[in-house]
This record gives sequence, C-alpha cells and structure tokens, in this order.
Amino acid sequence: MVAPALLYFLVFRYAPITGIVIAFQRFSPFQGVFASDWVGTLYFRQFFGSVFLWRVIRNTLVIGLLYLLIAFPMPIVLALMLNLVRRRVFRKTAQTITLLPHFVSFVVIAGIAINFLSPTTGVVNRFLSFFGAQPVFFMQEPRAFWWVYTFIRIFKETGYEAIIYLAALVAIDPTLYEAAEVDGANKTKQLWYITLPSIVPTIVIMFLVRIGRLVTVSFEEVLLLQNDVILETSEVISTFVYRRGLVNADYSYATAVGLVETVVALVLVVSSNRIAKRFRDAATLW
Amino acid sequence: MPQRFGRSRIGRLSPADTLLHMFAGAFVLLFCAITLYPFWYVIAASVSEPGAIVRNEITLGPVRPLSVESYRLILNDSRIWLGYANTIFYAVFGTALNLVVTVLAAYPMSRPEFRGRRFMNVFVSVTMFISATGMMIPLYLIVRGLNLLDTRLSLLVVFAAFPFFVILMRSFFETIPNQLIEAARIDGAGEWTVLLRVVLPVSGSALATIGLYYLINRWNGYFWAMVFLRDPDKVPLQVVLRQLIVLTRMGEEMDVNVGRSATNAQAITYATIVVATLPIAVIYPFIQKYFVKGITLGSVKG
Repeated sequence: MVAPALLYFLVFRYAPITGIVIAFQRFSPFQGVFASDWVGTLYFRQFFGSVFLWRVIRNTLVIGLLYLLIAFPMPIVLALMLNLVRRRVFRKTAQTITLLPHFVSFVVIAGIAINFLSPTTGVVNRFLSFFGAQPVFFMQEPRAFWWVYTFIRIFKETGYEAIIYLAALVAIDPTLYEAAEVDGANKTKQLWYITLPSIVPTIVIMFLVRIGRLVTVSFEEVLLLQNDVILETSEVISTFVYRRGLVNADYSYATAVGLVETVVALVLVVSSNRIAKRFRDAATLW
Repeated sequence: MPQRFGRSRIGRLSPADTLLHMFAGAFVLLFCAITLYPFWYVIAASVSEPGAIVRNEITLGPVRPLSVESYRLILNDSRIWLGYANTIFYAVFGTALNLVVTVLAAYPMSRPEFRGRRFMNVFVSVTMFISATGMMIPLYLIVRGLNLLDTRLSLLVVFAAFPFFVILMRSFFETIPNQLIEAARIDGAGEWTVLLRVVLPVSGSALATIGLYYLINRWNGYFWAMVFLRDPDKVPLQVVLRQLIVLTRMGEEMDVNVGRSATNAQAITYATIVVATLPIAVIYPFIQKYFVKGITLGSVKG
C-alpha cells in the first residue's frame, strides 16, 4: 500500500539529496554524476570569495528580519481586533475578506502590485502625491524593494496567519472573563490581562517557527518582483541559485550555494523546533 | 466562535468599553477596505473607458463610458484558453494523484500494527526539513535525467505528495477508533476493503481539506511549470499570466516612452487579472471553512 509513496519519496525527495554531490564536481550533464571531475570545495571557495556572498546574505536576512519586525505582529493585532467585533455576521464576513488574498496566486498579486506602484498611473503614487510627495519609481528604486516585498506579504498573508491566533482566542476559558467582569475589570483591562497573556504561548511558538524559516525567502515570490535594475537589493540566496543554476546552467556552483543555504536553514529549523518543543512542554505545565 | 461579549450586556457597556469595541470595528473595517480595494480597482479599471487609466481618473469606481473591449481582446486570445485548459488538466489529475499517494501512505502510517510505521514516519518527516532552494538544481537534473523535461507528466509526478500533508492525513486517520477497523477485519475484510469501505467514508472533510490545499497549490504554482516546460501548448495559466501581466507590464514601466499602445495594454492587464482570478473568487467563500479547518488541524497535531 505504501509502495507509491515509497517510490515517490525515493525518486523525487531523497535522490535530490544525494544529488548535492555535484557541488563538489565540475558537473556536466553529458558526463553524468559518475564521470564528472571532482573539484573539492572549489565552488564553495568561489562563492565565499565573490561579491555576491555579502549581497545575497544581506538581502535574505533583511527581508527575513523585516518580516519578523513588521509583518509578524499584524495577524496578532488583526485577530485581537476581530475577536472584539461583536456582530457575528460582520466578524465572519471580515474573516472571509481578509483571507481572500492568500488564495490568489502570487503572479496575479505581483501583476496588481506593478500596476499600483507605477510612477505615472499607479494608485500608490497618486496617494503619496496627495501629501505633496514626488512620484517614486518603486520598481526601479533599489532602496524600495525590501519594503515593497514586505508590504505585499502583509497584504497577502495577514488574514491567513490570523487564523491560528483566532483559534487560540476561542480556546480561552470564558469563566476567566466572567470572573474579571465580577471583579469590575473593563474590556480594556480584560484584553490586557486575560486575552493577551492567554495567547502568548501561541505567539512565542509562531515566532520560533518564523525564526526557523528566517533564511527561507520564497524564490517563487521574489522572482516575480525582480528586474535587472533592482537586482542589487532583490537578489536573495534562492533567486541567486535559480539564476546561476537554471538560467546560466552553472549546475555545480548553484548546487554549492544551495547546499550552504540548506545547511543554515536546517540548523535554524531544527534548533527553533527544539526550543519550541521545550517551550510547549513548559507551557502545558503552567 | 462563541459569542464572548453577549448581546445582553450591550446596554451596560461603559464608555471606555464602547470606545474599545468601536475602535476594533473601525480597525477591522479599514483592514477589509484595504484588502478589497486592489481587487475592486482592478475590476473597475477593466471595464472603464481605456483612456481613463492613463489619465488617472479611476479612484473609487469605473469611469464611463463602460467598455468591454479589453475582455473581447482577452477572450479572443487563445493563450488564455489554452492556459486554462492546461491548468484544469494539471489541477484535476494532479490533485487526484496527490490524494491517492497521500492516503496510501498515511493510512498504514496511522495504524499501530503496521510494521514499517516508525520507518515511514521518519522517512516522510525528514524531507520536510530539506530546503527547497538546496534541492532546486538536483531536482531539475533528476527530471532531466528521467527524460521528463517538457512533458506534462513531469509536473504531475514531481509533486505527487507533500510530506506535510501526508503527516496531516496520518494524524487525522489516527483519530478513527480502532474498534471500527477491528470490527471490519473480524468480518473478514482485507486492508484494501477496510480502507475503501470503512476509513474513507468517514474521512470526507479531511480529504476535502487536504485535497483543496493540493488543488490551490496546483492552480497557483508557476515556477516549476516555467522551469520544466518549453512547449507553449503545455504551460498552465499562471505561466501565461506571468508573461502577460508581469513581464510585459514590467517592461513597459521600464520604458520611458510609454506610448499609446500602453493605454490599451493596461486595460488588458486588468481584464486578464479578472478573467484569471474569477473562478477562485467565486468558489472561495464556499470552500473557505475547509482551509480554516486545515490550518487549525495542523496546529493541534502537526
């Protein structure tokens, strides 16, 4: 019964892992893995000595950190606010609306973003000019990219990520609120002393999950917003691997860079998972 | 969601509490408005008189005279139709394959008496920790080595299952009481009969949830289709869209001499977005509850 899955995982999930040996070869698809020359750590040394190293690491980390600082709190705020909405119909409708962008493809979202950010006909620039600002050429301005991408992610994912906090909010024991009511605590106090502390464990765990994915910036997404003019700030490790490996066919070099990313990502995920697990065990003891 | 702030208390809310609720309502309203505005703008621009976009006249609604010219152009573009047909093909057969492989792995993994249970759990889970970036080149070379490049089969089989959903499905199957399965076995049912007659009939909502996640992935993905497929007759809608609304528009924006041709180009972009997004937007409210179920299911057991 498990045969199809066994075969699938072997061929398309495990074989690629062994495929990373080509990072240590001068791999040519015509010679294959067994006949290609071994070059040791040549490609790793090339990458670590190149100008791209600092650039792609900086961009990857800045995008990851901006996400943690700005985008991470948004679903928490949205969930708390949704939870304070009293009309059921309003709350349900609002949840449906805020969840919608998650299911629209990033290709469409990127298409809308490019139009909205246009210096001549873009709504965003018209809005900014309302406050007297000069038009910004967002898609050609290297300094803008990190913010553009972060705001698009906020737009697309906040409603989706709020679900997990909403689930945590529902699980709060209603007698806590009743007791607080009897003690004369108003809604603001209840929010501050009951609601927020109750979802802190969820927040901490989600934060650790995020830390685990810090260097994992989606190539599918970034690739759609990139162009040659803003490559300096928009090239992240994953898009760099794509460009060198699949566009330029530098298979070995790209695999070496990918391997570096894989190792860093693995260390981050495993350690954040371990901390999260320890935290979860401690949280159930409270 | 329980009615936490009961209706009966509305009259007794203190001014501070009323203010808090009003603030929350305003915040949620504003958030919804910001979320909907881009989509509303796209619809408005797609039916406006094409010149209105370039003259910056569209702000809150369509500009008359209304025009369906862009839609006429788009619906006559065979690339859109072909893209749609291909996407439906990949979505239907891809999702079916996903569900078959996922269920066939998850069901044995959920049964304590299955000998290879521990092995399969580790075997599947480990792959979740491997970064997609690191596997990008080796995966491409394997598909190339298997002579699957530029075949429809490549897209179907390369993503035949996601480890996360196998584990999710397994966690669901674990909640099915063992007595139910034991009873069927005592009646002489084999493993396949148990799966088809006993397990699957009670797994409707889990299958729907996981199936829909796979379906959305199939529907929205563009990257691997772009990498694997060369033949324009085989590419799914998202690859066509990338060409039409991302690359072309980006090129025009970079071009200083935005001429008259770009006037229509923008209107066409908007009409394309509407045509491509409509199916998702229409069915989404009806299937939304399954997605919510999926993410909370994952958080409890994952």
